[in-house]
Amino acid sequence: MIVADALRKTFPGLGRGQSRVVAVDGVSFSAADGEIIGLLGPNGAGKTTTLRMLYTLMTPDQGRIEVDGIDVAKQPTAVRQRLGVLPDARGVYKRLSARENIAYFGRLHGLDDDTIHARITHLAKTLTMEDFLDRRSEGFSQGQRTKTAIARALVHDPRNVILDEPTNGLDVMTTRGLRGFLRNLRDEGRCVIFSSHIMQEVAALCNRIVVIAHGQVRAIGTPDELRELTGLADLEDVFVRLADLEGEPL
Amino acid sequence: MTAIWTVAKKELLDLFRDRKTVMLGLLLGPLLMPALILGIGVLAEQRMRTQLESTLELPVIGAEHAPNLVAFLKGRNIDAKPAPKNPQREVREQTWEVVLRIDPEFSAQWRDSRSAKVELIYDSSRQDSKIPVERLRAVLLEYSRTVGVLRGINRGTSPEIGFALQISQRDVATLEARRGMLLAFLPYLLILFSFIGGAALVIDVTAGERERQSLEPLLATPASRTAIMSGKILAACLFGTLALLLILVAFKLSFQLAPTRLQLIDVSLPVMAQLLFVLVPMILIGTTLLTLIAASVKSVKEAQSYMSVLMFLPIIPTIVLMVNPIKNQLWQFAVPFLAQNQMILKLVRNEVITAQEWSVYLGAGFGLGLVLWLLAARLYHREKLAISA
Repeated sequence: MIVADALRKTFPGLGRGQSRVVAVDGVSFSAADGEIIGLLGPNGAGKTTTLRMLYTLMTPDQGRIEVDGIDVAKQPTAVRQRLGVLPDARGVYKRLSARENIAYFGRLHGLDDDTIHARITHLAKTLTMEDFLDRRSEGFSQGQRTKTAIARALVHDPRNVILDEPTNGLDVMTTRGLRGFLRNLRDEGRCVIFSSHIMQEVAALCNRIVVIAHGQVRAIGTPDELRELTGLADLEDVFVRLADLEGEPL
Repeated sequence: MTAIWTVAKKELLDLFRDRKTVMLGLLLGPLLMPALILGIGVLAEQRMRTQLESTLELPVIGAEHAPNLVAFLKGRNIDAKPAPKNPQREVREQTWEVVLRIDPEFSAQWRDSRSAKVELIYDSSRQDSKIPVERLRAVLLEYSRTVGVLRGINRGTSPEIGFALQISQRDVATLEARRGMLLAFLPYLLILFSFIGGAALVIDVTAGERERQSLEPLLATPASRTAIMSGKILAACLFGTLALLLILVAFKLSFQLAPTRLQLIDVSLPVMAQLLFVLVPMILIGTTLLTLIAASVKSVKEAQSYMSVLMFLPIIPTIVLMVNPIKNQLWQFAVPFLAQNQMILKLVRNEVITAQEWSVYLGAGFGLGLVLWLLAARLYHREKLAISA
């Protein structure tokens, strides 16, 4: 269960005398257990910044975040224990094998070796990564790197999972496999939040969609609710309308 | 605590899988530094020996005015050569190390038993001319004294009247100390190596990790940022200590295997152990300082641009001591770099280091390390640290 309430984040403008850049401006939404929430928005809409605030890497200027009822600002460590995070940058250590990458994070989560071993076996099976599990990750394909990073994020069996553009750069079959994996997470009763800039991607997976543009929430609802809201049938048109992209230069 | 060790272990595993970097980091120093020191030692020794023992060729202006003096010089292994056309210029151009000019009035002054004039032309800024000039001066003084004594005896006075002072010299440098002087740059090399020997690793685990974008997931784990940073510092310190240990072993072996006249410093096991102990605070200071830098800059490239300044830091006390030699005082053991310099010199000179000096030294060294560690930890808590792009 993740609740974001009126989040605002600004960054200093580059150069002297520049005004601060508003990245996220009053973003509110909630994600229940057993639900997949998709954060949908064009590049630079503030998706990654919002997620970074959720997983405690950044502190919001205003607003508050609760994970399983715990205030992120007050107990960031307790929150991090309940989160599985796949950041935008996968950052897999290339001189370590996939297994060592996952085990390293398991130890940082305070797990013992037996638990780590059992979790790795389980995750390797569900993510179909047995054939490269003990290879050094140097030379991994994009899909293998993403799988390793996802397994690493889930090694401690978190109740809440945050994924930043998880299907970025993956081929069709890997994407399909990943979708199935995320549905499983939901069916296990976890709370899943992920971001994407592809409407179809989000519609195929999410219970609800949060459309973000220019740092603000434009709409929240199921795909059908969003169609109804805009009166458009095509999901891409819905997205373009909601994100107010029609007037933007290509 | 577990997190610190977990991070340190991972960093070392990661590093040791990078064979080439490890080989360069661990073996280059131990192979190059003894070769450098012994090589320079051999060169200096040979030069001194040839300058002291070989025949000194000395252009003499006006040799005809003082044939006896020229003969005396010859007897002392100094050969008179014909006068150069422009002695001052030729000395400045380093054609000759020293030129002797005998005054045209020499024979007249000599006959009248007045002080006869000779002049040495040399360039005191040339290290090279030091030994020949000293040699010539000593021979001339000997000649002057011998003749003076003979004249005194001729006139029935005691020759001692002519010498209000009798100067004898006693060099108090012990054999070990004199050898230590030859190795003036040994402390610099050792300090430099412990200070930034592990720089590549330290910069890589913070600035490099951020550039490779793996710092973000790492900081999203429940492990505290201070623990993660401390683990990285620990890994770098362990690696630095290992590298230093190998250097000291290489020193010990090369000085033991060198010809006897080059066995210049005490490389016994206790001294080596103390050297290692003296340099450990330096490793800590270097690692924490570099972590501080790596956490504050935007990229690996930016962090590396600090290296040239850092390389210069350890040589400052060596230069200051060279220009302005000062007595050992307690405060010196609290000044970074100067303190290490003094401690190493004391060790290689076989001098006693008092308990007070040890405690000031270790207190100041580890204290500075702690301060830098705290500052670096503060930087690690900045939001900007995790975000690479």
